Amino acid sequence: MSNEKKSISRRDFVKGAATGLVVGAFASMGVYSYTSSAYNRLPKIERKMQDFGACRSVRVTNISETSWFNNAHLIGDIHEAGGLLVNQYTLNWAPFANGKGSAKGSYDEGIGSIKELLPNDLQKAWEIQKKLALHPENPGGYSCLLEVEALDGTIHKYLLDTGWSYEWMENSFKREGIDKMLEEQQIEALFISHEHWDHFWGLPVTVKYDNRIPLYVHDGFYKEGLQYIKDCGYKGEMTVVDKPITEIIPGMALLKFDVPIINRVFGETSLAFNIKDKGLLLISGCCHQGILKFADFAHANLKYDNDRFYGIYGGLHISPFEDWDPKYDDLVISLGQWGFERIGCNHCTGHLTAKKFIESGYPVVRGTARFRSASKDYLGNGDKISFGC
Amino acid sequence: MNNSSVSYLESRKLVKRWSGPIPALVNTIVILAFFYATWWIFQDPRGLMRMYTPYVGYMVCRWLLILFIWVAYIFDFWPFKRSWLKNTHPLIKGAVLTLVSVAAMVILIKGFFVEILGNFGIAYFDPARLEAMGITDFYSIEYAAEAIMMFAAIASWLSPSWVVACENAPWQKLDQPARGITIAVVTFFLSMIVYFLTMHSHMAILFYPWQKFTAICPPYWEQFANTVSGNFHIAWIMCCTVVVWLFETIWERYPFNLIKNNALRRTTSFFGIIAIAVCLCFFLYYAQDLVWGETIRGTRRLMAPDWRWLHVGEMAIFWLVPSLYLAFYCNNWPTKFSRPVNVCIRTLLSAAMAAVVYIIYYKTSHLFLGTQKGFSHPQQFPMIPMIWLINIFLINFWFMDGWPGWKAVPKTEVELEEIKEEVVAHDVKWTPGLAKGLAVGLCVGVLFYFALISILPWIGDNFTIIK
Repeated sequence: MSNEKKSISRRDFVKGAATGLVVGAFASMGVYSYTSSAYNRLPKIERKMQDFGACRSVRVTNISETSWFNNAHLIGDIHEAGGLLVNQYTLNWAPFANGKGSAKGSYDEGIGSIKELLPNDLQKAWEIQKKLALHPENPGGYSCLLEVEALDGTIHKYLLDTGWSYEWMENSFKREGIDKMLEEQQIEALFISHEHWDHFWGLPVTVKYDNRIPLYVHDGFYKEGLQYIKDCGYKGEMTVVDKPITEIIPGMALLKFDVPIINRVFGETSLAFNIKDKGLLLISGCCHQGILKFADFAHANLKYDNDRFYGIYGGLHISPFEDWDPKYDDLVISLGQWGFERIGCNHCTGHLTAKKFIESGYPVVRGTARFRSASKDYLGNGDKISFGC
Repeated sequence: MNNSSVSYLESRKLVKRWSGPIPALVNTIVILAFFYATWWIFQDPRGLMRMYTPYVGYMVCRWLLILFIWVAYIFDFWPFKRSWLKNTHPLIKGAVLTLVSVAAMVILIKGFFVEILGNFGIAYFDPARLEAMGITDFYSIEYAAEAIMMFAAIASWLSPSWVVACENAPWQKLDQPARGITIAVVTFFLSMIVYFLTMHSHMAILFYPWQKFTAICPPYWEQFANTVSGNFHIAWIMCCTVVVWLFETIWERYPFNLIKNNALRRTTSFFGIIAIAVCLCFFLYYAQDLVWGETIRGTRRLMAPDWRWLHVGEMAIFWLVPSLYLAFYCNNWPTKFSRPVNVCIRTLLSAAMAAVVYIIYYKTSHLFLGTQKGFSHPQQFPMIPMIWLINIFLINFWFMDGWPGWKAVPKTEVELEEIKEEVVAHDVKWTPGLAKGLAVGLCVGVLFYFALISILPWIGDNFTIIK
């Protein structure tokens, strides 16, 4: 009898304990998880304050911010191909078009039609591709020239990205004198922010004028992208960036972000500068990692003057197709708290975003809307912006 | 009691066609093959129809789920006769019931949301209207699909809740189709209210300038959720959807089925599910902060609060997959202990399995599903393949009686009586032993939680899922 009682009691105890365990765990989740004391437990971030030197100023020339001329055509092509996750090399856009139609493109077939012409006969190559591609008049490209003034007054020139259309980029390079700078090897390196068509596919235009220019690409590049660099006739020294921070010259560092991007692209590299007596300047191609993540990473890792965020330049990838999402308003609402003094944005930032920035009273540098740039709300093609001068 | 007085799903007993784990293995292979083939045909961005744009595919997944729930749970397979359900080959039954659900889904989406609501009520439900107002065709379709999909997300919590938690009350005695129509209409109406409270402001923000005269912008949750995005609501609503099914399957409606008073049990179950879901929601959000660091409002992807809220829902869905698998194909293993112990083991086991599914998904999905590598791509929605898989579970288990591993036979009188008794659990009674155990268990549960949150930062520092 006593054994039976004991056994029943033990059984009840286990029943209660099993119930209590699950209830206790869920109750704790609800009561504690979203409280300030829970968040006080989070480790405080130790700033690494890596000293990467300083420079005196940075001047940016916007060679081209218009990556494509018609949103409806671009997004329509992507839509027809099956959406934003379709491999960019299969979209059937120049220079990898094969004439077989939407989503039936192929890197090998596309490049096969023009490979022999790269990099010297770009006009003919682009004409061939225009006959095969979807919306052949739509490509433009993103590219800018960075002139970094060192503390001793030396000027270092770099290219960030090399656009898309061979035709458009040739004209843009000529307009800004980039062709001659490349020929004279004044430009010390080309940084490809990421593998997307509008930043990278115009590579033969740069290679045409300087086929040995040092080249930096993210280590997320796919085999087609790496093959394209070879197929363009590039003979120089390529750095596949695999470290979070790569110092280029004093006051200038390349930061790597492992971020998934539309049309199968992976990873973005962006540039950070420490402008003497001013603070941190951030320059991006598309900034798929997000401008605040970019700033936060720099804040956690780099040492810069006055411990102050100073400037922004580049595409901020917010409403590139004039689309919108509430999370973009999170950025518009929050950006002001970070205290940037000078915001030069364009390209995939989107006109809608620029309008909202201006409405919020942010220090956005307006443009002149020349050379087919669509709006004065942000820095257009051929516009310049200086930081620290 | 005869078996026509209970629902078809309750009236049948699924019997294994082969001994041991063979039925489960065979069904797993069949289900995965069907999943992959249909994913390729309908969803895969490299496949045939490429509906994963992603919102069009997402909308279809969600509404299919709702239609399956309506067919099996709300309408109890009406207008199909019980004799047809019993005598038809599972393959034919599965095909017919699935196609009927698809047809109903198309009528609902195209007929009700796009043509009626979109044309005479709220413009953003109709892509053609959005396009005519200057939005590109792609985003017109995506925005409309998002709105229609979110409606389904809410309904996929409320519809089964009415059956599982509220036990169809107060319409449980109505015959079909009166009961089905009533519950469908009531839950649809409630979904609409919840939609307006949680998602309408989110949708309004999509259109510049904010539609301040028709929606609360910035929305009321902004400060609490640290975002204006409606993903905050997706988080707890998705958790509700998952908890309803945990409650129905691996928890066997425990512990709320200890309450004998009908009204009290039903009310407690309905709101208890919400309370548990909110607990889960807060934990999953906090867990991400522990692993990846605190969010920064205005950032994108991994560090953004809006994405973390969305990911709460995604993680919850990862838990639903092994839970349903355990219930459907493993006979709700284990069953040999007392109900609370079984529930506790299943909860821990399915949560551990969810972590495994999560890791496998992120390590491999970009290779075989055509999605993007990485956690937080804006077009990466693991909910879509997970719900697609769950839909196939439901087709197989509800519409096909678990074919080919199982076959349905009618339950005996005694077995039907057991169902009736199951509504109120009788195997747990209040005793001093139980009280003592409960107190100790609560302490252990609290310790378990704190151990878990202590280990998460270490996991974040030392394990990389995606390289």
